[in-house]
Amino acid sequence: MRLPISNFAARPSTVWLGPRSLCSALNSRTGLLTLAISAVLLVVGARAGGPADLAREIDTLVDQHLAEMGATPAARTSDAEFLRRIRLDLTGRIPTLAEVEAFLASEEPQKRIALVEKLLTSPEHARQMQRMLDVWLMRRRPNKHVPQPQWEQYLFDAARANRPWDELTRELLRADGAESAPRPAARFLLDRELKTEETVRDIGRVFLGRDLQCAQCHDHPSFGDYLQRHYHGIAAFLNRAYLFKDPATKLTVIGEKAEGEVKFTSVFTSEQGMVAPRILDLPELFDPPVEDPQGLYVQKPDKKTRGEPTHSRRAMLASAVTDPRNDAFRMNIANRLWAAMMGRGLIEPLDMIHEDSENLHPQLLQRLADDLHQHGYDMRRTLHAITLTDAYQRRSTAAETDPLAAAVMKPLTPEQLAVAALIATGVERRYVEAAKAKLPPQPAWDPDTLQPPLEMSPTAAEQQRRWRLEAEVTKATAGEVAAFAKVFISGNETGAFDATASQALFFRNGAKLTAWLTPRQGSLCERLLAHEQDLSVAVREAYLSIYSRPPTKSEASLAVDFIQGFESDRLAGLQALVRAMLCSAEFRLNH
Amino acid sequence: MGATATAGFGPLLSVARAGELKRKQTQILQVFLQGGVSQFESWDPKPGTELGGPFRAIPTSVPGIHVCELLPYTAQQMHLLSLVRSINLKTNDHGVGMRFMEKGRKNGNFPYFGAVASRYLGEANPPLPGFAHISTRGLSEDTAGFLEAQHAELKLEGFQAPANLEAPAGVAAASQSRMERLRRQLNEQFGKDRSKSLIDAYDASFQQAGQLMSRRQMFEKQSAHDLVRYGSHPFGRNCILARTLLEQGVTCVKVTHHGYDTHAENFNFHIEQLGEFDRTFATLLGDLEDRGMLEHTLVIVYSEFGRTPKINHRYGRDHWGASFSVAMGGKGIQPGAVVGATNAKGTEVADREVDAGHLFHTYLQAAGVDSMADHDVEGKSIPIGDPATSAIKELLV
Repeated sequence: MRLPISNFAARPSTVWLGPRSLCSALNSRTGLLTLAISAVLLVVGARAGGPADLAREIDTLVDQHLAEMGATPAARTSDAEFLRRIRLDLTGRIPTLAEVEAFLASEEPQKRIALVEKLLTSPEHARQMQRMLDVWLMRRRPNKHVPQPQWEQYLFDAARANRPWDELTRELLRADGAESAPRPAARFLLDRELKTEETVRDIGRVFLGRDLQCAQCHDHPSFGDYLQRHYHGIAAFLNRAYLFKDPATKLTVIGEKAEGEVKFTSVFTSEQGMVAPRILDLPELFDPPVEDPQGLYVQKPDKKTRGEPTHSRRAMLASAVTDPRNDAFRMNIANRLWAAMMGRGLIEPLDMIHEDSENLHPQLLQRLADDLHQHGYDMRRTLHAITLTDAYQRRSTAAETDPLAAAVMKPLTPEQLAVAALIATGVERRYVEAAKAKLPPQPAWDPDTLQPPLEMSPTAAEQQRRWRLEAEVTKATAGEVAAFAKVFISGNETGAFDATASQALFFRNGAKLTAWLTPRQGSLCERLLAHEQDLSVAVREAYLSIYSRPPTKSEASLAVDFIQGFESDRLAGLQALVRAMLCSAEFRLNH
Repeated sequence: MGATATAGFGPLLSVARAGELKRKQTQILQVFLQGGVSQFESWDPKPGTELGGPFRAIPTSVPGIHVCELLPYTAQQMHLLSLVRSINLKTNDHGVGMRFMEKGRKNGNFPYFGAVASRYLGEANPPLPGFAHISTRGLSEDTAGFLEAQHAELKLEGFQAPANLEAPAGVAAASQSRMERLRRQLNEQFGKDRSKSLIDAYDASFQQAGQLMSRRQMFEKQSAHDLVRYGSHPFGRNCILARTLLEQGVTCVKVTHHGYDTHAENFNFHIEQLGEFDRTFATLLGDLEDRGMLEHTLVIVYSEFGRTPKINHRYGRDHWGASFSVAMGGKGIQPGAVVGATNAKGTEVADREVDAGHLFHTYLQAAGVDSMADHDVEGKSIPIGDPATSAIKELLV
């Protein structure tokens, strides 16, 4: 159900506007009152141009498109469906049993809006963004020059501070691993060892949405706008840079020479070209004229020191990629954020945007891209807006008519799957309790500054505790998550669904799940076994824990019959039920 | 010339097996000699030359073709094989060479040959995984590239059963099948009003898992008779398993024989290594032929590169991608042929230079896949084989 537009505009997004009665009034159908209140809110200036407004614009555009296509949008998600989806999308986790029950029981009419806001500022969201950025940027390649924990912390901090994408991009491309930025930022270039093929290819894919690999040796045979000079134009920013192992620090850093050009020859036409640094079709960036050959270097390269030229081509790369004239930069990030939430980019594949790409909604993509640009590449704002839309909150029913008419199912990422299994089986709770016991009730000192807090409000103290608790639990479960996720990680880069026999065997027979299904220390199977006298209660708890929803009547009776099929061996029946549910598509997919 | 060597029996056999053949899908057997087998000590001997090493060349079942004396059994099956002696990969790096040989491309996230075979030669939802790799060590490679993960290799640690093949202790078979039935019911319920592709793909992986579990005797018993014929060493047992997997319908079976990286004591090591390889491989090849499987099975024996002509001071040969050989035979391959040649000393390719891109096209076209066509993957059209190379036509039937 769509709310009337006037109501939608007035949805509070970060400012709490009043008592519950006011919010209920907003939802009432007494038009005059609604209008009056809306007017008041607008006068107050409640977030005009905020995420809610953008959400409304998105819905208008999507609805227009669906009307043109004659497509009927799928129904709105149930609260349980929404809760599981938003939890996975924003925080990489399924909700806990307690959370499901509380959310379903809440009669707060704006509870979805409130939940989105709560999640977006949670440590779990920063964790999910860290993992997403990691895969975007590094595609799960092994660490060479920057250890993974440092890299993860760097991304986590960036996500926590909601650092703008353009700023982050510049830092990643400018970092030399020595001094100009936090060392982990240099991982993007260092761990690709500045190899032209990998580096140029991934700069194209990650920041421009264009996999220019095929344009390395010739203009792309089928995409008119993937040209050899585009590939080599990016290469020209980097061809003077080299890896340098500093004999003093033993660290590998990036040095650069002051000379060197990029030439290329087409293997098809044998045409030759030479290109100065350039991003796609933006103008070439020529070196300044050299008046004094002695002035070429700030630091001349030799065996003991890395070279630092006066004019650094590499340093220009960062600003060239994020140049406002480079439309590809904003289109790419808009398309990626849309895909992260909606399960499919407006253009697919995400790294093959070209002039003839099939675009589900060009106007919408442009709007999202421009909004990102206008709002300083605030990714959280975009995610916030998308998750508020009706388009996002639709059910994942089959929609033959139009890909935008229903939600697209997303396979859980390896980490999401591992964490979901930990939560569902009740094993994570053990780690949470242990971590809580370890944390002092009040923070003795600030973990960032290592200073005692001068004055800290109870709310701030609670906030800090939450962030520390999340960090502790993540650290404590890291081994379990990594061992589980390993089975599900593949190099498939299309985002296509991975399902192999080895993975199925792991789910069906693996020792890890078997251990997690042992009834002990408050695990799911222990709790279910406590209800062996009333199996319908046990089945309900299993459904809430694993599927994040209550069973329907027929599902409940099917499950009860199933357990009874194991006769007196209640535990075996319950474990088999839990295992079958964990092995099912409903658990494997974000739907 | 090899074609005439076998022509005598050809018509009779093919009439007898025509019906059977129609039902048989094309399959692949890859034997990967990891580390880089020496071409001098195997397919391209240069006896009596400066860099040729101490071994002699012996005649084979194909008049005119000689191989190194370390391959006496394989020499007797030469009429089933052909050789390419003119491969130049322009790399001496294990990883680069291996991926080039597997993917037909030097760079990029392309699928391995086995994954491509699984996608184009296998059934839509095969009961068993389409690509199995038997190896006793080595890291897991990303073999599916941009193809669906179901085409990735199922890595088998030697002839051991794959991980998690046994039901958890104490879970009875009846409970297993009940659980499996419930899982399917849950999927049906969930899939009622949803699009089927993801759910079906997920379901298929569990069905494959179930098939592997119910056929786990594949990994249990190997007959004493076979162990005598193949050898009871790991490579022998792995090859028995490879035959079984092919018989069970796995589209592509790859067996890795480790240990050819002979930087020191090249000659002693090749006596040992090829001593293991030769009889085992010849037995396997003979079995495939005897069982009528060779007509629909392409057999490939390859390495990531060859070894240097130069013999180093430790009597070793080092990495050499500039002129080495592979052997292939079976489905779609003209038997008993030799393509390309190295110069007299074996220091460079003298005729018909090819690289792994040509081989990739050749294998696929022999198997009946149009390697010049495109993969259609999630909206991308990607040439299956490298468009800059093409098949070695003279090897194709």
